[in-house]
Amino acid sequence: MRQLLCLLAVCIAAVGEVAAQPDRPTFNRDIRPIMSDTCFRCHGPDRIARKADMRLDIREEAIKPTRAGRMPIVPGDPDKSEIVARIFAEGARVMPPRSAHKDLTHAQKDTIRRWVAEGAAYEGHWAYQPVTRPAVPAVADASRIRNPIDQFIQDRLRREELAPSSEADKRTLLRRVTLDVTGLLPTTADTRAFLADTAPDAYERLVDRLLSSPRYAEQRTMRWLDAVRYGDTAGFHGDNPIPAWPYRDYVLQAFLKNRPFDEMTREQIAGDLLPNATVEQRVASAYNRLNRTSAEGGLQPKEYLAKYGADRVRTVSAVWLGSTLGCAECHDHRFDPFLAKDFYAMKAFFADIQETGLVPDRGARAWGAKLALPTEAQRAALAALDTNLAAARLRLEEAAATKAVPPIDDAAREVALNARWQAGQLAWTWQRPIGARALNGATLTIYDKEPIDSNFYLDGSLKTDTKPGDGLVVASGMNPDRETYVITLKPGAGAWRQIGLEVVQDESLPGARYARGADRFLLSEVEAELVERGQPARRLSFVMATVNDAPPAVSAINDPSMPPLAAIDGKLNTAWGIRFGEARNPFVALRFADALHTTADTTLVVTLRHDSELRRAVIGRFRLALAADAFAWPPTGTSGSRARSRDESGRTTWASGLSEDAMRALRRPADDRDEVERTAVRDYLIFSNPDLADLYRDVEILETERGLLDSSIPSVVTTVSIDPMPTRILPRGNWMDDSAPIVEPAIPRFLGALDTRGERATRLDLANWLVSRDNPLTARTFVNRTWREFFGIGLSKVIDDLGSQGEGPTHPELLDWLASEFMQKWDIRHVVRLIVTSHTYRQSSLGDTKPDPENRLLAHQNRFRIDAENVRDVILQASGLLSDKVGGPSVSPVEPPGYLAALNFPKRESSASRGEDLYRRGLYTTWQRTYLHPSLLNFDAPTREECTVSRSISNTPLQALDLLNDPIYVEAARAFAQHAAAQGGTRPPAFDAQLAWVFDRALNRAPTMEERSILQRLYDRNLKRFAADTAGAREFLSGGETPLPANVNAVRLAAMTTITRAVLNLHELITRN
Amino acid sequence: MYENFVREMSRRAFLGRGAAGLGVVALNSLLGPRAFAGTQAPAMPSRGVVNPLDFAPKAKRVIFLYQAGGPSHLETFDYKPKLAGMTGKPMPESFTRGQQIAQLQGQRLTCFGPTHGFKPFGKSGQVVCELFPHIGSIVDETCIVRSMWTEQINHDPAHTFMNSGSIITGRPSMGSWALYGLGAEADNLPGFVVLVSQGNGGQMQPIAARQWSAGMLPSKFQGVRFNSVGDPVLYITNPPGISRDMQGDSIQAINALNEVANRSLHDPELHTRIAQYEMAFKMQTSVPGLLDMSQEPPHILEMYGAKPGDGSFASNCLLARRLAERGVRFIQLYHRDWDHHSDVRNNVVLKAQEVDKPTAALITDLKQRGMLDDTLVIWGGEFGRTPMSQGRGGRDHHIKGFSFMFAGGGIKKGLSYGATDDLGYAAVENPVSVHDCHATMLHLLGIDAAKLAVKYQGLDVRLTGAQGGAVVRDIIA
Repeated sequence: MRQLLCLLAVCIAAVGEVAAQPDRPTFNRDIRPIMSDTCFRCHGPDRIARKADMRLDIREEAIKPTRAGRMPIVPGDPDKSEIVARIFAEGARVMPPRSAHKDLTHAQKDTIRRWVAEGAAYEGHWAYQPVTRPAVPAVADASRIRNPIDQFIQDRLRREELAPSSEADKRTLLRRVTLDVTGLLPTTADTRAFLADTAPDAYERLVDRLLSSPRYAEQRTMRWLDAVRYGDTAGFHGDNPIPAWPYRDYVLQAFLKNRPFDEMTREQIAGDLLPNATVEQRVASAYNRLNRTSAEGGLQPKEYLAKYGADRVRTVSAVWLGSTLGCAECHDHRFDPFLAKDFYAMKAFFADIQETGLVPDRGARAWGAKLALPTEAQRAALAALDTNLAAARLRLEEAAATKAVPPIDDAAREVALNARWQAGQLAWTWQRPIGARALNGATLTIYDKEPIDSNFYLDGSLKTDTKPGDGLVVASGMNPDRETYVITLKPGAGAWRQIGLEVVQDESLPGARYARGADRFLLSEVEAELVERGQPARRLSFVMATVNDAPPAVSAINDPSMPPLAAIDGKLNTAWGIRFGEARNPFVALRFADALHTTADTTLVVTLRHDSELRRAVIGRFRLALAADAFAWPPTGTSGSRARSRDESGRTTWASGLSEDAMRALRRPADDRDEVERTAVRDYLIFSNPDLADLYRDVEILETERGLLDSSIPSVVTTVSIDPMPTRILPRGNWMDDSAPIVEPAIPRFLGALDTRGERATRLDLANWLVSRDNPLTARTFVNRTWREFFGIGLSKVIDDLGSQGEGPTHPELLDWLASEFMQKWDIRHVVRLIVTSHTYRQSSLGDTKPDPENRLLAHQNRFRIDAENVRDVILQASGLLSDKVGGPSVSPVEPPGYLAALNFPKRESSASRGEDLYRRGLYTTWQRTYLHPSLLNFDAPTREECTVSRSISNTPLQALDLLNDPIYVEAARAFAQHAAAQGGTRPPAFDAQLAWVFDRALNRAPTMEERSILQRLYDRNLKRFAADTAGAREFLSGGETPLPANVNAVRLAAMTTITRAVLNLHELITRN
Repeated sequence: MYENFVREMSRRAFLGRGAAGLGVVALNSLLGPRAFAGTQAPAMPSRGVVNPLDFAPKAKRVIFLYQAGGPSHLETFDYKPKLAGMTGKPMPESFTRGQQIAQLQGQRLTCFGPTHGFKPFGKSGQVVCELFPHIGSIVDETCIVRSMWTEQINHDPAHTFMNSGSIITGRPSMGSWALYGLGAEADNLPGFVVLVSQGNGGQMQPIAARQWSAGMLPSKFQGVRFNSVGDPVLYITNPPGISRDMQGDSIQAINALNEVANRSLHDPELHTRIAQYEMAFKMQTSVPGLLDMSQEPPHILEMYGAKPGDGSFASNCLLARRLAERGVRFIQLYHRDWDHHSDVRNNVVLKAQEVDKPTAALITDLKQRGMLDDTLVIWGGEFGRTPMSQGRGGRDHHIKGFSFMFAGGGIKKGLSYGATDDLGYAAVENPVSVHDCHATMLHLLGIDAAKLAVKYQGLDVRLTGAQGGAVVRDIIA
């Protein structure tokens, strides 16, 4: 809504001001806005779009005759000026032409006429003039002056015959400044302390305390992340998670330490190019990699590189320059003096960033250049593992090459292998479980001869069939976060060396088609027990776990963070899992330590534990199999198609027991094999040589440990500088058009030129220029944007466009004074402190709106809704649920089921974080760009697919539904009511005491009599209802993960929860006054 | 108490009805120059910013049956016998030189004829693939445009372009524009509703929520996705243990408290907040009522092939009619699964099973209720597919020519418009761009696309882009 109001004001200002303008029209204030909107499109800087050879944005051009001999402007003589004749013309000759839909008002026409009559004086555009330090105006009445800001503001007010308001009351002021600076409410203790502090500098000390708090850093970070379009996912297509949060923590730390803005600028744009760049600086350079990227197959890399590059130009331009240089991607800017060449010259600064058009979202090469951020201990452990692993590999290789004992050559082994394979000795025997149960509530159903519907991918298409299950176990019903399956097998008489688990994909499973939730399955541990009649159960141990992945599939499906050995390592915090495995049924073969002999009566009890932190990463469909051979290879299973046969007893077997490559190799003469096949046979001979088994296992264990450690180390996308790619101007933005010249990096021509002594200018040169005194835009842009945070509107209200289509500042001298103050040391906290300690900021927001409906002159403060993250923050804070943890990986609050259903690659459901991480500040919410958390989206948080420097503020029924019914807010209301009972007291009149406590905490004030009686009525009615329906009361209290005390009076707590819920829904709570 | 509340709510005016304070004033004023321009349009009032409307509207609402993934025009609406004769032969380079190609980059390009037969249907004799007999049966109500073209060749940007007329994110989608321009008709449902169904073929490219975003317009204009699992509208269901009466009581108390505060604040946003809580409460009744299909007679369910609650395209088509009846301005149904890089022959059979009958049923049903005249139905996806083969009998993404079907809402009946070349490669006769399509849609709604603009970053942002689109007058009745 604010955006609309701003636009509204543009219209009013354009008309209203001119109509009421008694003095001479000036170019910047009166003429440029009209011309920019109505004339420059065809008579401005864009040479190609220019009509009739007439250019009006530059005076020298406008006062000379056109090719057709017309005089656009004759200074002092409107009657001889073509532009005046044309704007007053009727019919076809009128300017702007009807087709432009930009009719001028009479007042606008008259203004132009007067301006020409008075000599048609031009002015340079304000934003491009050097920043000077204007003199601070003297104000006669110093009683409401706290710093120079007030002098500028009150000087203008006086000229308009208006007066500043008095200071807001202390409660309002405390709440306002705390919300603005920290995004949180003042606590009850804060309120008490501040009200009691009567010292003259009480407020200033409060401000200093707030500014040094991590909460201030979090609030600043939240806003900065919008600008730099920080997200936790890629943004295009599969929208998978990107490692970005360490960058967010860099920003947090930078604000916490109040790092100067010039340093922050250099580190983010060019941290990697700084001499002896520190880890922190290289983390900062992730800024360049925060653009959306795509992993969609079939994309044209060149097209996407063009998109990524253009995004970087738009972002730098909006964040630092307050300009819309992005408009010049296809043509010279229509309104501002940016040329298309300037756009591409800006893009060229970033041409050295190592990147690809298709940015992989999985595997070792995912996300391109990354920086690992190990602790010292991790670094040392990794080095030790690397050494050990190399040694273990060497031992295996040497043994394989020289010490094959007994000495049989490979050919002989191969013959033996072939014989065993052909004889079916490597076969897997599918098991039909005789029992299957889930310990935490799910239902397991066994399908053997019984038909079951399956939906699976085959050859790129989804197929549906209904076939006997062949021992398939299917989970349904309750879907707990953690689940343990206990399966009983009765394999019959035999000797077994391995047990296999096939995880069966099905379209009905939301978690990558494997799991009942999340985006993968995670099998924490597999256990097995042998039960002979009349004997105690014997626990079996495993020595090896192998999955049915052969190169090159290994890289696509196997993820070192969830290796197969993790399922038998005795640790519940590690797991075997798979996330990307479209159309594949992974099969893990687990080798018993000792051969297993079964009789007809023996049962085998297999326990599958899913105990990971990720919720519902629980396998949905699976089969079990046994193999008599210790080295039978896990069978390849694309879903739906498998080579099965039945053995003599009618049981289904999987005859292969070898990898596809190895089988293919064995089917043909050794001489005909290709490299892949030769390797497959050799690898399998090593794998299946009993004398090498221990050495092989050592390697596997070390690789697993290394993979787990390595993937536990945080990493972040980073900037790596390579030889710059040539950057061409793309005519009309067409990435396929190579006809235009190559450009070198340069700042926009009209703003000057960099002196790089003939060297190609770098990102560091750009960063240095952005924060140099020669650049008039950065400081103005920054202080204007910052001003908006504290007044709801900028001094120039179009935050992302200080150009001619933007708006001249209401207080140009103040804007420049603040900009020059900022440029002294680039001290952000100083600027914020100046603003919030001014009288202007401290004014009451209750003011007469008539003389200045939009309050642009700031005769009083403004009132506006707080930002999306802060809506969540204050509700959790008031209820006592909010975590005060700073930084770390992004977290996932509970999300409605099915919210991500339209995503794919992988198919997924969000899986909420655990414990404290459920109650973190909104800032830390995983920023899923294509499906931002609905409660953030509802309150206008941007998706950050694109740089956003000013959020809109809307007011919708979806917000009401969110605050009323979102489970987290119902839980917050309940927790709030619990605290109220504990803190507010239960002695009669308990309601009053509790209500007072609730109001104090949420609204920092006492309830009025009227409010009390409204809520008392609600309480009484609900008390009665819940007394008649205690089950309903318990249900109402049951949501969320914070425990409900056992001895609680559910009826009273439920009734009180309806009161806290009402308070948490008040407009006042989410409004900063 | 609850009765009182309902009465109280009926008495009140709702947002969009002119009582929402500053919001509406601001919206109307947003037009800026328009307000002073003195339009020649007949005074057709509206509830949106285009007030009065620029033209007498022919359509009041739009139902966009969005076939996501890129349906093959060569297996739906664009019969190319000459291509059939060239199957297996190299694609003449004269067609493809210098053109964008997606996954077929660097590969040999081979002609691949239609995999199914076509035949003329209805009195108009429009030729449609035999797999779509139901659509064939209503083809006399429709106008098939065979000369669409677009600019983006990958799904995500192509969706963004089709929906917002721009590849830069942050631009409003067409539904948002329509709602913004015309305002809402219903006061108890969102004005722009999105429904997504999955196909049974599994070619399911992701669809970002950005496709129905309001962009830089206020978020009240964004599309609201109705879900087939969980809450149909997010957070529409009362917390467990809270009855409707209790919810009503709570909202009444909240609003009463807000009123108390307003006596000292006089905050226009507070009035809006109160109205929004009332609207939220109304939605809590109207949405379940909308979804409750138990009142639909069996023959209607059968006509659509809808099984209520299954989230299928068929059920969504029936839901679309119910939404249209209740005054929802823009209803967009995404049906996923048209990305047939392989085996287009069999996959399109699946798609036909899913969409043919319900599409025809929707048009028939609208007609028999007298609603087709003022409901514009559009059927199409983000691009078409290549006349060249890919992999195992598949087709790649294709942007130079594809088909859309229009019906109702002032569209000419029984007309085929535009054509691709003999091989179905490029739109050569009466090409229709995405912006042209948008301009035509807005025109039928009574809006001049060239005038519907919002200033953003110094530009007048329009659905039809900087260059604008041309209304395709030939297809308007």
